[in-house]
Amino acid sequence: MNISSVIVIPRPDLVEQVVSRLGVLECIEVAAVSPEGKIIVLIETEGDRETVQIYEEISLMDGVMSASMVYHQKEDEPDVELSVEA
Amino acid sequence: MPVIKLTRRDFIKSNAVSAAATTAGMAVPVTVMAQARGGDGVRWDKGVCRYCGTGCGVLVGTKEGRIVATQGDPDCPVNSGLNCVKGYFLAKIQYGKDRLMKPLLRMKDGKFDKNGEFTSISWDQAFDIMAEKVKATLKNPDQGPFGVSMFGSGQWTIWEGYAANKLMKAGFRSNSIDPNARHCMASAVFGFIRTFGADEPMGVYDDIEHADAFALWGSNMAEMHPILWSRITNRRLTAKHVKIHVLSTFGHRSCELADNEIIFNPQSDLAIANYICNYIIQNNAVNKDFVGKHVTFQKGVTDIGYGLRPNHPLEQVAGNNGYPGPDGKPKGNPMASTPISFDEFARFVSEYTLDKAHEISGVPKDRLEALAKIYADPKTKVMSTWTMGMNQHTRGTWINNMLYNIHLLVGKISEPGNSPFSLTGQPSACGTAREVGTFAHRLPADLLVANPQHREVAEKIWKVPAGTISDRVGYHAVLQSRMLKDGKIGFYWTSTTNNMQAGPNVNQEIYPGWRNPKAFVVVSEVYPTVSAMSADLILPCAMWMEKEGAFGNAERRGQFWRQQVKAPGEGRSDLWQYMEFSKRFKTEEVWPAELLDKNPQYRGKTLYDVLYANGQVNMFPKEEAAKVNAHAWAGYTNDETEAFGYYVQKGLFEEYRNFGKGKGKDLGEFDHYHRVRGLRWPVVNGKETLWRYREGYDPYVKPGEGIKFYGKPDGKATVFALPYQDPPEKPDGEYNLWLCTGRVLEHWHTGSMTRRVPELYKSFPDAVIWIHPKDAEKRGIKRNDIVKVATRRGEIELRAETKGRNKMPEGLVFVPFFDEHRLVNKLILDATCPISKETDFKKNACKVWKV
Repeated sequence: MNISSVIVIPRPDLVEQVVSRLGVLECIEVAAVSPEGKIIVLIETEGDRETVQIYEEISLMDGVMSASMVYHQKEDEPDVELSVEA
Repeated sequence: MPVIKLTRRDFIKSNAVSAAATTAGMAVPVTVMAQARGGDGVRWDKGVCRYCGTGCGVLVGTKEGRIVATQGDPDCPVNSGLNCVKGYFLAKIQYGKDRLMKPLLRMKDGKFDKNGEFTSISWDQAFDIMAEKVKATLKNPDQGPFGVSMFGSGQWTIWEGYAANKLMKAGFRSNSIDPNARHCMASAVFGFIRTFGADEPMGVYDDIEHADAFALWGSNMAEMHPILWSRITNRRLTAKHVKIHVLSTFGHRSCELADNEIIFNPQSDLAIANYICNYIIQNNAVNKDFVGKHVTFQKGVTDIGYGLRPNHPLEQVAGNNGYPGPDGKPKGNPMASTPISFDEFARFVSEYTLDKAHEISGVPKDRLEALAKIYADPKTKVMSTWTMGMNQHTRGTWINNMLYNIHLLVGKISEPGNSPFSLTGQPSACGTAREVGTFAHRLPADLLVANPQHREVAEKIWKVPAGTISDRVGYHAVLQSRMLKDGKIGFYWTSTTNNMQAGPNVNQEIYPGWRNPKAFVVVSEVYPTVSAMSADLILPCAMWMEKEGAFGNAERRGQFWRQQVKAPGEGRSDLWQYMEFSKRFKTEEVWPAELLDKNPQYRGKTLYDVLYANGQVNMFPKEEAAKVNAHAWAGYTNDETEAFGYYVQKGLFEEYRNFGKGKGKDLGEFDHYHRVRGLRWPVVNGKETLWRYREGYDPYVKPGEGIKFYGKPDGKATVFALPYQDPPEKPDGEYNLWLCTGRVLEHWHTGSMTRRVPELYKSFPDAVIWIHPKDAEKRGIKRNDIVKVATRRGEIELRAETKGRNKMPEGLVFVPFFDEHRLVNKLILDATCPISKETDFKKNACKVWKV
């Protein structure tokens, strides 16, 4: 399993449309949208190849001005439970 | 403290969102704090991306001798943790299956044979034959010292370029060392030198966050400088008044999302730039105070030719191309100019009315005017950016000068947000090729081989006898190909570049040159590129994190990294190769008798003794490496330090620093770079400089001086009156389309690294030709058909694309050059800007037909 976060900057007049288009894509989750329209997207896939395909789809989507990867991590046992201090 | 139960998946997601929120400057409610990475045996250290001139910082994770992960470095101000898709896969670039491991020499019957099979040999044997070939070339009256030539790279580390420059210019006394940056930044360099007297931008990336308007001239930043584009789009989103103007010869990703998309006829950027100056003057927008104090005017000569071979008809009629005339003397000088007044300049550009600019460029008048307005409006801070559209241009130096004309007329320069910013393509074209001076005409720190005082400075710093460095300009990139073909180069050593794929006119010039029996071609490489396969000898190299390195990016930021892992097989760094090879030569074998007669203390010494074991390069003991890097990890050393017995990189860098000290090109202390996320020069008293030439920002401008372009003797920048001129080849009857070449986001240059990352390969496996649907229809071509594209020089076959990220105008097609099986540079004419000698890869006449 591969989890990445991406910052998507839409055209200022197309924020809502881009958020809806992103919402439709499989394997991604819109995690947050700032007041100006910056969008944080989470991509969860089987591996790098699928992540890149989705990233490419996002980059070339109508209304997306830029999409940059931020964080990515592989995890072989994603369902293991942790206890973490908040 | 309350404890939360959650899955690993949730925890990682939370970290991912939190990291993105921090980078984006957003407040996001997160239930858990990001955990520091660690405890899994991975050692993290700071590094620099291997790819473009943006120079993003990356964190590199190493485990058990292998790079296992990379991350955008959140502490690097360039990218603040962001990555583009190529950067995402940096951990994989060293591990392609066909990595070169051993020196390979073409042999038949146990001897070198240019038509033999590649056979593995030892490093000793490799240096044996290389030394033999160099010595033979030096003695050959048809070739001589300049026949020993090197084609290096803007992807060399700083000390590799420096060691190579010394070996060639002071060792073999050959100025025929030129970098592949000749193909990408030479026009920018000559633009800087002509206008300001000094190389490299006066602004920094911080200009992005201050600008009110952006103008991209011939630069597809969305794909080619993606992280800088993210910063621009972020500025656009957070400051609603900001507008983006994009000029291009075809619609691409950046202009699609622009506020003002300007598609212009190829070459007409020259007319547009003059129109904007005219608009500024006609609308009383000239900053008279600034111009009066800080600007002079010159008119440049215009019959300068196109950098073609001297017997080409276009060169024979050029009175100022600098080539030998019938009397053997140079025909004028393409850089020549005469002083004029502001009024004469105003008269010169007055013919570039809106009508005329529209006529030449084909751009709608309202769009041209909208662009002119951002420059003319005193309240709008403008950042102009450009790369290959302007540099890879037969009038590339002119268009660079003309962009500066615009900014200088309105005084929009050297302050936050007002920034004519030349974007650099390669990761260290600035830091290595330009600043170290690995060009056929240069020495470090903007010094020139043709200038006797400059040569004296270099000879003193390098501790070589007066008169060692030749005063003649050596063979530049395109000339090297011609000289190889003509038998004038006997030894050609190329590294960290792939000229058989990246250079122009491959079939007519490059390939026959390399295969010429009079030439011995050595390729230092990491993967079997087409250049490696065309060589006589292949040397396996260390790459990226397999050696201690330093790059200098587009905003003058030098960044260092430590060696993280070892090179595979017998791979060695270029630095080791140059230094070790120098041991094979005694001064008596490479320097003329007169030089040694005057300086007998150099007799009996090897070039290694003279150039490297010279008391400066070897002055820091081995232990220094651990000391300098103790803050990062204990007991650090690197392969070259172990091999030679002293901290090589520090010795080279500290000797090199002497060139720029006190000249406005000061570099910081070696140790300092290893501790921080880079430094932007001039670094004075440990402090970096952001905006050059302006009081308060630049320590070289004294209180009361305001602005001083101190690269010029009179402290003033120069505006040049230069006209529109046609390119050497335009579409005509049979070859009726423009052919433009370039890149795509997923692949770096010739794909030697990116095509070996499976995910990047799959994302864009083969080159295609982008063509307008109507042009396709006229030729009976449908999308995805296999077609041929040909110029007068060659042809290739590839798939036609009528949709997607690039939108062609009618009459123009585009092919990226990353695909060695669809080698588009076979088609490209080796015409150059006659001043910069940089090839125009953007304008050729071609025909396309269905197979």
